[in-house]
Amino acid sequence: MFDFFIHVASIACLYGVLALSLNLQAGFTGLVNFGLIALFGCGTYGAALASGMGWHPLLGLPAGIAMAALLGLFYARLGRKLSSDYWGIATLSIAEIIRISITNEQALTGGAQGISGLPLLFAGLKPYDGMARLALYVVVLALVWLFCQRLVKSAFGLSMKLMREEPQLARSLGYDLDRIRRVVMLVSSAIAAFAGFLYAHYLTFVGPDQLVSPETFLIWSMVIIGGVANNRGVIAGAFLMQFAMAYVPFIKDALELPTDFVAAARLIIVGGGLLAFLLWRPKGLFPEKVGGSNGR
Amino acid sequence: MFQFIFDALIRSVDLALIAVALSAVYSLIKFPNVALVQYAVVGAFVAMSLHTAGLPLLLAGLLSAFFVGLLAVVFNILVFERLLKVDSAIALIGSLALSMILSAVFLLTYGPTAYRFKLEVTPAMRVLGARITDHQITTLIVTAISLGLFALILFRTSLGREMRATATNGVLAAATGIDTRRVTNVVVFLSGMLAALGGITLAMRGSVSIDLGTNMLLPVFAAAILGGLGNALGAVVGAIVIAAAETVVTNTNVGPLVGEDLYFLPASYAPVASFAILVIFLLFRPRGLFVSEVSRV
Repeated sequence: MFDFFIHVASIACLYGVLALSLNLQAGFTGLVNFGLIALFGCGTYGAALASGMGWHPLLGLPAGIAMAALLGLFYARLGRKLSSDYWGIATLSIAEIIRISITNEQALTGGAQGISGLPLLFAGLKPYDGMARLALYVVVLALVWLFCQRLVKSAFGLSMKLMREEPQLARSLGYDLDRIRRVVMLVSSAIAAFAGFLYAHYLTFVGPDQLVSPETFLIWSMVIIGGVANNRGVIAGAFLMQFAMAYVPFIKDALELPTDFVAAARLIIVGGGLLAFLLWRPKGLFPEKVGGSNGR
Repeated sequence: MFQFIFDALIRSVDLALIAVALSAVYSLIKFPNVALVQYAVVGAFVAMSLHTAGLPLLLAGLLSAFFVGLLAVVFNILVFERLLKVDSAIALIGSLALSMILSAVFLLTYGPTAYRFKLEVTPAMRVLGARITDHQITTLIVTAISLGLFALILFRTSLGREMRATATNGVLAAATGIDTRRVTNVVVFLSGMLAALGGITLAMRGSVSIDLGTNMLLPVFAAAILGGLGNALGAVVGAIVIAAAETVVTNTNVGPLVGEDLYFLPASYAPVASFAILVIFLLFRPRGLFVSEVSRV
């Protein structure tokens, strides 16, 4: 039971990193990205690439980040002409194209079976490896959080928020919106790919099933429920959602419900949570702090 | 060759009803309602239940379409009117959330298995070398009638004039005494009916399962955006283009390109064709093939 708790906490940390990445895009800059999971996938397949080519496992990280950066730049390029709802659909389509291609290109990506046998992080520290990994993920999450905090409180962070609130005003004041979008996408793509890299070396398995679009919506629910544009909030959202999802099967067993209940309950937790918060508490559990960013 | 054209036609008919519904709603409430593809699934499931209960298919279909229309209006009033006050992107996320909840409801009531209408299966006819089934003919007729009626309403009635006025300039329409909220809800009702009919015809020729909606989502969006979101009948052309592309991708021998004699792309690449067209269009011609009434920043 304790191991399971460690496992869920580890996954929650990694999803917390993803939620921070989405928060930079959607929360602070107003970029409605429905293809986030593909950026995460760049990280996981970067790790898989390193393992498949027989490189040092750490080389998977730059490979994944490079792929994610390219994809993020492409997303940003698409966003130049599109309003947010169109962009959302476009990014969703690209993520699906990537997932379907991965599933079909058996020779390159292992197809639907994916690639297994990646080295597990800290496997030598048994039986304390789970704790060691969790500690690492907590440190990573804290560092990414610190970075995101610094970023959004910087002058650049202010321009991100200005772009979200008043794009036309921002443009009239001389801000280069395309550049802001590019930088935000680059930075957040790298963060998402980093989470993917860690995730791949945690599960030791990489497959297209990890990249289905409901995963993106799960991360969205973390951001919306935790608090849009509040970095602490989205981490809280990530933990809340991961633990809620993880303990559904126990409820099913306790109440002796049919197996379909698990899938349905997870859909209801994500969908219902999103909808309820959008309708009744659109700012989330931890609302964005407006103003009061001392010094800057 | 005729088989190819016919396959593409049937596929475009699959997409057309839902794509037209999506586009019509978009023209008035300015956000793409993802939940529409789930309304199609609701329509199929309800019609199937009514049909199993002993109603004739036509009556079951019409009742189900009417029910889904009402359901669409209820959701529009309860959820989307409120979310749209914030932002259209928020409404889009809300419609995604609603889709997930509907999926969960399907899963709990019908389970993950695929259902079929209990219809007689007749051997396929051969027309010009193409295999054509009765149900395909029925689908064509149902789609033609519903789209025809919709076009009649849109272009020949005073209600249609009010719809077009509201879509073009909502504030001005309201100022001239049009009850824009009522007009919007009428369109939402019609879109629900169209989507339900689309779902029913799909289920008639194959089966309906809970992932029918999510599978239809991107092709339908591609068709609607290609035709110019908000331009309801443009969506029909969009559907034809998407269907043709999907059929070409899976029926073309790409062997010479990869250095083999005979090589066909797997059928699962069919959706990739439609998504790729969608992305290319969004890159180079975001307003679609036709100038729609909606202009974007």
